[in-house]
Amino acid sequence: MAAPFTRVYRPLWRIITTTTLNKGVRNVSSTRQQCSALNVKTAAVASPWALHGAVCLQRLPVVSQDRSPIEEEFMELMHQMELERSLLSDHELRLLEDAARMSRKQEEDYDSDEEEEDYRDKEIVTAQDLEDIWEQKLKQFHPAPRSQGVDEKGVSSSERCLAESLILLVKKDVGSQKLWLLPQTQWQTGETLRKTAERALAGLPGADLKATFLGNAPCGFYKYKYPKDIQKEGRIGAKVFFFKAVLSSHKHLPLEKNSFAWVKKDELQDFLKPEYLKQVRRFIMAL
Amino acid sequence: MRLTGHLCQICQKEERIIKLRLQWYQLVLLLQNTRALVCAASSLQSQVLTKQMPLGVLLTNRHYRSMPTHGIGRYRHLLPKALPKKKKEKVQAKQIKAATATEFGVFNVCVSGYDMTLVEHYSQYIHNLCNHLDIRVDESCALPTKTTEVMVMQEQGTKMYVDAVLKTHERIVQISEMKATLFPIFMEVILKNQPEGVRLCLKQHTEADYQARFKTRPELEGLLAKINN
Repeated sequence: MAAPFTRVYRPLWRIITTTTLNKGVRNVSSTRQQCSALNVKTAAVASPWALHGAVCLQRLPVVSQDRSPIEEEFMELMHQMELERSLLSDHELRLLEDAARMSRKQEEDYDSDEEEEDYRDKEIVTAQDLEDIWEQKLKQFHPAPRSQGVDEKGVSSSERCLAESLILLVKKDVGSQKLWLLPQTQWQTGETLRKTAERALAGLPGADLKATFLGNAPCGFYKYKYPKDIQKEGRIGAKVFFFKAVLSSHKHLPLEKNSFAWVKKDELQDFLKPEYLKQVRRFIMAL
Repeated sequence: MRLTGHLCQICQKEERIIKLRLQWYQLVLLLQNTRALVCAASSLQSQVLTKQMPLGVLLTNRHYRSMPTHGIGRYRHLLPKALPKKKKEKVQAKQIKAATATEFGVFNVCVSGYDMTLVEHYSQYIHNLCNHLDIRVDESCALPTKTTEVMVMQEQGTKMYVDAVLKTHERIVQISEMKATLFPIFMEVILKNQPEGVRLCLKQHTEADYQARFKTRPELEGLLAKINN
């Protein structure tokens, strides 16, 4: 390959942890352990292609997907089967014992000395009382809503469609027209392409997005030629390398409607150009 | 006199046996001849003669010393060879491979949570995914369950009482020699399929992690301390 590339011997190590959901975004944090010095190798001949690094930033699904009707039925059936096959738990045994003791107490020929040592003349919290206390507590518990009540059609909020993964798109001036693209920026000599992608993310105006990059290897590639009038000597077109990243946490500033969009994979075709879409679709997983 | 008498008896016995043998061989030869003749001449309808008994039945190769029944009941030579029982070898710590520029070394995917079915199913899912993608899985094991007691302070009073008992289950899938180009895809798949309530953690495998799985031996440590002091 004629274009210069840097050989990085950097240990690929990090500790990646995910914590439980925190208001609409899954926290994915990573701590990098060491970074050794970069070893840059530049070729003598500059290539005719401009290099760009782009980032495919994904907001992972926050809640699990809803079950289809068949899955619901099957789940209920399995629950019922398990219930019927299971043995009584300690709590249920206690309930039965208490009920038996109660019925024995009501009888005329009840002799309290026949009871076991532990239960004679003592105030005991019966299992039924415990159950009532627990039910009260359960009523006080309110689980978080499965959808944050955000307009599902409006693409600018990252809290829409919590059950699916969303991709960030930005509107950018390319040449004379405004196009929706994955965030990208030009590569500079002396940095790795991944650094370029990180810069592309950090350089987005008005968005404070923290992301964890999933690796040093690019996941996709797109090549395009400049229109004839812009082609100078030595610059035929541009090559874009995409890197995958996962959104870790961000402040919930609403992003500008016209320049940012969080879209699902099937909505991509409304935003991207066909050629670009064809290449991008190859590395986006709709799971 | 008794000895010679005894010897005489033995000689007589042997004579009888030799005679019997001779008679037996003559009979066998006769049978063979007749069989050949009969086969050549007769028809195939007679079933007794065309039964084709293997000669081994008539001429066995038994090791017998004096009694024809010597060695009857011998079966050990028919059993498969049993190897000598190996003593349990001491479990050696495996060499932890270092990372190269294109491959990761050894790392652990730790799955933990309160719900055991979810944790186990998710760790099994990761293991199956690795098998499917031809990623080498060194070990897939469980760490001991940690029990947490949630204590709640009573409203009026200073006493704390036990409110709930939570058990944290943890499963580890140890992966080695994974290609760096495959890693982002793998990570994405497991992140997207992570169930609710399950914590995922990827850590590099160290010697300390390996040693933490073993039980401590207090008497041994006490003795070692005594020796060193």
